[in-house]
Amino acid sequence: MRIKARTLEALYALLLLLPFLFSLGVFFLYAFLRAVYFSFTDYNLFSPPRWVGLANYWALFQEPSFLLALKHTLLYSLVVTSLQTFFALILAIALNRPLRGITFFRTVYYLPSVISTAAASLLLLWLFQRTGLVNQALSLLFSHLPHLAGFALLFLGLQGALVLWERRRGRRTPFLDPGLAAVSLLGAFLGTSAFQAWGLLQAREVRVDIPWLPTRASFLGLPYPLWAIVLMNTYTTIPTFMVLFLAGLKGIPRTLYEAAALDGATPWIMFSRITVPLLRPVLFLVITLGLIGTLQLFDQVLFVGGSGGAPLESTITLAYYVYGNVFPSGATPRVGLASAAALVLAGLTLVIVLLQRRFGVGERGWS
Amino acid sequence: MGAKEAARRRWAALGWAYGLLLAFGVFFVAPFVMGFLASLKTDPLEWPFRLAFSQVSPKNWAAAWRLGQAGSGDPWLGGMRPGRQVALEVVYFVPRGVEPTLLAEIPRRKPGAGMGAVFETPYASDHVTLEGPIPLERRPAHQEEGEIIRYRLVLRYQGEGPFLERVPLDLEAPRGMVLVEATLDPTRFERRGRVASWDNVTPGLLGYVFHNYVRAFRETRSLETGESLFLRWTLNSFFIAFLKVLTTLVFASMAGYALARLRFPGRQALFLFMLFTMMVPGQVTFISNYLVLRDGIFGLSKLFGVETLLNTYTGLILSGLVGASAVFIMKQFFESIPREVEEAALIDGATPLQTLFRIVLPMSTPALGALAILTFQGTWNEFFWPFIVLTSPREIYTLPIGLLSFRNAYGQVGDWGLILAGGFFSMIPILILFAVFQRYFVEGVNVGAVKE
Repeated sequence: MRIKARTLEALYALLLLLPFLFSLGVFFLYAFLRAVYFSFTDYNLFSPPRWVGLANYWALFQEPSFLLALKHTLLYSLVVTSLQTFFALILAIALNRPLRGITFFRTVYYLPSVISTAAASLLLLWLFQRTGLVNQALSLLFSHLPHLAGFALLFLGLQGALVLWERRRGRRTPFLDPGLAAVSLLGAFLGTSAFQAWGLLQAREVRVDIPWLPTRASFLGLPYPLWAIVLMNTYTTIPTFMVLFLAGLKGIPRTLYEAAALDGATPWIMFSRITVPLLRPVLFLVITLGLIGTLQLFDQVLFVGGSGGAPLESTITLAYYVYGNVFPSGATPRVGLASAAALVLAGLTLVIVLLQRRFGVGERGWS
Repeated sequence: MGAKEAARRRWAALGWAYGLLLAFGVFFVAPFVMGFLASLKTDPLEWPFRLAFSQVSPKNWAAAWRLGQAGSGDPWLGGMRPGRQVALEVVYFVPRGVEPTLLAEIPRRKPGAGMGAVFETPYASDHVTLEGPIPLERRPAHQEEGEIIRYRLVLRYQGEGPFLERVPLDLEAPRGMVLVEATLDPTRFERRGRVASWDNVTPGLLGYVFHNYVRAFRETRSLETGESLFLRWTLNSFFIAFLKVLTTLVFASMAGYALARLRFPGRQALFLFMLFTMMVPGQVTFISNYLVLRDGIFGLSKLFGVETLLNTYTGLILSGLVGASAVFIMKQFFESIPREVEEAALIDGATPLQTLFRIVLPMSTPALGALAILTFQGTWNEFFWPFIVLTSPREIYTLPIGLLSFRNAYGQVGDWGLILAGGFFSMIPILILFAVFQRYFVEGVNVGAVKE
């Protein structure tokens, strides 16, 4: 008997796909369906699951630690995503020039994102100790506020004077003329140094001593330890996203800006009418990636907590809540509740992806 | 605006752009550099943070090399062997009216806290005799305000005995006497600077500059066997990453080829499903996966006499044979290859398997390379799933989980030198890989863009 060519092809496909289907079937599909099933049951990993209907979901939204975790996760996600998107965009626009050697800088900037969360968390822990580098840097900054203020004033004064002088000579110089700004910058630096030497400006004695980690205090709804994680994660992701934005900006034809300039458009109009609309696909991509990545915050929570670290109420997130209910220390696992929470997390993620599909991009519409 | 004026502006703008790039680079790399420097320090949390400390002084490098050479014949890692002797010189300033009484002692000090404290290690004071301090030279200083005295200390290891990994030393001086100079700078000062303390006077170059790194390997040892846990974790991580790269390369190209080139019912549905799996967080599936491994994949492993796959690498590898994103990468790549190449083979009667392994894969080295690197990086850095699967004994941990147990063991006592050293050590393979293949990483954003 001869097998038809199409059947044969399908058989070959099955053969080739077998390991993948095994992975997908056992460790995803089965697992996913079981998570859905568990979420409707009372289950402790040992005795068989007992069907309880929607009770877990109901219980979740009554439980203070889940609500806290949900609040932390959403706020964290929102703050980090907006910060990193904003700064990455601003920097990318500032750097959007055909520069030689940009690949070198790109490589350097990309570095933090290849490092494991475990190693990065250890660095974070060290940075945010009481006598850590962050408190030291803040102290240094605050004690030199007079210098910074003096520097800013000198810069603005010099720049203003130079621009006015240029305009009086009949040139249409914008206030932020880069050439003059370089001169003003140098002048302000020399001036500040001189004031320091004459004793007109003096560093104040300031010691910032914020207990970042072992605390329950919170600021704008997020506890300090989570702020520490926010700062660190924003810090490491800005460059990565900036690289994405730079790639997107490269795709915008320069002629559009030239035409707009001929029509007398201001930089703000160019930004809001050309850059942002044409960058929308990348923008949505970055926001989606940011939200999905931040929603699953787990490793850092585990590292920042623990002995001598942050109390759990200050750092608990959805992902941690799920883990903590499946493997609680010295209590019975509440798998049903954990599964329900995990599905809430998955739901959040899917909503974001769908929103992105709705308003944003197809796969690589941006590159 | 004249041409000259425009050119001037262009140059200034360029200058600003580079200045900004540079400032940004410094700002973003600084914490990593500072963290690395701190990992060399004895006290990484010192306030204010100094950039010049004894581990970065070439004078100490030379001294550490010489002392290590003298103590054990190993200038890199130092230590002390029977029959060797080591000489150390220290210079003190003694103000007028202070009796120069310098007390030297080899203290009985446990090497380290945490995991390292449990082990019986030979005490250097039981084997090494101390000779001195012998005043060598005295001369007046600071317009006769006091004098400078140079002392010599000789440490001898006579007779038979074990190899000593380190020989500590304490020098106690009366109030007012100040240590001006030493062959090797002391590790720290105690009791308001009166006691100068060396953790090891025969450190060797690596043992001095990277002492926290050496400690990480020496002090984190298994309670049962005494072997270095940190070394084991590193080897485990390499082993798992290697296996994972292998399975991913083979299975992802097989599945990717089927999806890209073969027609079969449900192809489109499978593809969509694959995209869906990439969006579901791991927290949803890990409970069931944990149970599946616990029961030995529906009891199948019991056929091979394995009760459970938890705490085994088999379980870890089987549960992560091939990821959807890897299949996605290979599928995209195969679709970019012109069909004509394979059609010739098909006409000659090659099966899809032959076409894949003989013709398509040899053409796919760039994609396979990129996939291998991304998979290695992903596996090396992976935390959550190994953390669930590998819980005991400690010997089976991968490096990231090991780092967590590091953090828990040493975080309380504030041994940040050791913790940072562990963290930075774990970055080395990735940094090397990144330095060599950075193109793949940066382009990996493309892939990751669709992946997450």
